[in-house]
Amino acid sequence: MITAELTFDDLAGLMKKAAGVTVDPQQLKQSPDYPFDAVGLDSLGLLGIVGELENRYGASLPQDSERCKTPREFLDLVNSTLKAGA
Amino acid sequence: MSSERARGAAITGIGVIAPNGLHADAYWKSVREGLGALDRITREGCEDMPLRVGGEVRGFDPADLIEEPFLVQTDRFTHFGMAAAALALDDAGLGRGNPAEPYSIGVVTAAGSGGGEFGQRELQKLWGQGSKFVGPYQSIAWFYAASTGQISIWSGFKGPCGVVASDEAGGLDAIAHAARTVRRGTGAMVVGSAEAPLAPYSMVCQLGYPELSTAEEPDRAYLPFTKGARGFAPAEGGAMLVVEDETRARERGTDIRAVVAGHSATFTGASRWEESREGLARAIKGALDEAGCAPEEIDVVFADAMGVPEADRAEALAIADALGAHGSRVPVTAPKTGTGRAYCAAPVLDVVSAVFAMENGLVPPTPNVFDICHDLDLVMSRARPAELHTALVLSRGLMGSNAALVVRRGGDSAR
Repeated sequence: MITAELTFDDLAGLMKKAAGVTVDPQQLKQSPDYPFDAVGLDSLGLLGIVGELENRYGASLPQDSERCKTPREFLDLVNSTLKAGA
Repeated sequence: MSSERARGAAITGIGVIAPNGLHADAYWKSVREGLGALDRITREGCEDMPLRVGGEVRGFDPADLIEEPFLVQTDRFTHFGMAAAALALDDAGLGRGNPAEPYSIGVVTAAGSGGGEFGQRELQKLWGQGSKFVGPYQSIAWFYAASTGQISIWSGFKGPCGVVASDEAGGLDAIAHAARTVRRGTGAMVVGSAEAPLAPYSMVCQLGYPELSTAEEPDRAYLPFTKGARGFAPAEGGAMLVVEDETRARERGTDIRAVVAGHSATFTGASRWEESREGLARAIKGALDEAGCAPEEIDVVFADAMGVPEADRAEALAIADALGAHGSRVPVTAPKTGTGRAYCAAPVLDVVSAVFAMENGLVPPTPNVFDICHDLDLVMSRARPAELHTALVLSRGLMGSNAALVVRRGGDSAR
């Protein structure tokens, strides 16, 4: 289990890798409630990110993680899950 | 019938990504000159296959024409299809992305096998690392309908969409489907096919076809209608067209490059080439009937040209059966001997060649073929000048479909 938090930078990297969506990490940080679908990340893309994180951490994320609508919502969910598991 | 006639289906845009050209004009220049693009297959993982020669699309960077998310989420066959669609829409002068009337434009593509390369990559992850390593885009990228869906999403066109999976002749069936959709009231259709069969898994699937040429020399691998016929060489790439309501096209002030006049399709069974004679002849007659076209009006025939002796004989006889004495006089050509057969995309590329041939008054030659053993006036060596008003395009699939399409020159449709 990894203790470091998932950051906006990490998320931007994952969005690029899993779904080909390029976003500026600074923009994610400044507008954490700006919805994923507005930058072109759909639920399949987020599902790919969830899969990537589960493989990386060797832990399951909550069901419906891919239904998160915004970066803030998703990071809160991931980081609280990681903390709870630590 | 009269109201259908009134609503003509015009070809107003052409986009090509082919082994011999990454743009329609470059493609035609190569076709007109009879240049061959068949070569040794060089794609990674294909080196040890008994299939040596094919038509590879080289120097193609899909990122030049389509946005990154689509590149990550789709297979190479969709990359070709989307890039060709972008070129066709530009040629037609139609916008994309928030179109003014999104429901007035639809998309239909024909597909022979879907996204084999993407599928192979994800299945290797499945068996190598486990199910959790398979990416979610595998659920859509391999799918026959992927190109139709992604072109629709990317362009914002929300009109009637479809995918035709009817064997290689499906390339012509899709154009007919688009023409019918336009006749029923949709403003325009983006239609065509692109294939990507030159990847390891996809190639293994093809090795079972007895019609495949396993010859080693690029200029001897695909020689239809000759004594040296030994099967066909496969190709990747394809073409997309914009088929548009003729009245709407005139109102927009767009050039009408050609008109889709008639189509018919039949089925005679997998590799039953002798039977394809009757099936193809029936398809030709059906297409002529729908076009209201006499056999003598056909100015050029783009042959299916399978390159298998029985299939070539059946095609030559079918042309004679359907066109009568005119069948041995009309110029016949098969530019695909220079590129290989891109499955469903092969007849769409032939339709593109037919449009350019009519525009330029030039029947392109059949590359690498110099001496035939059938009673056909096959155009060889160099392009032949001719006044061309009406072209007949033929296609057969390895699984037994036959189709014929009649296309008329743009300026002739009013007559």
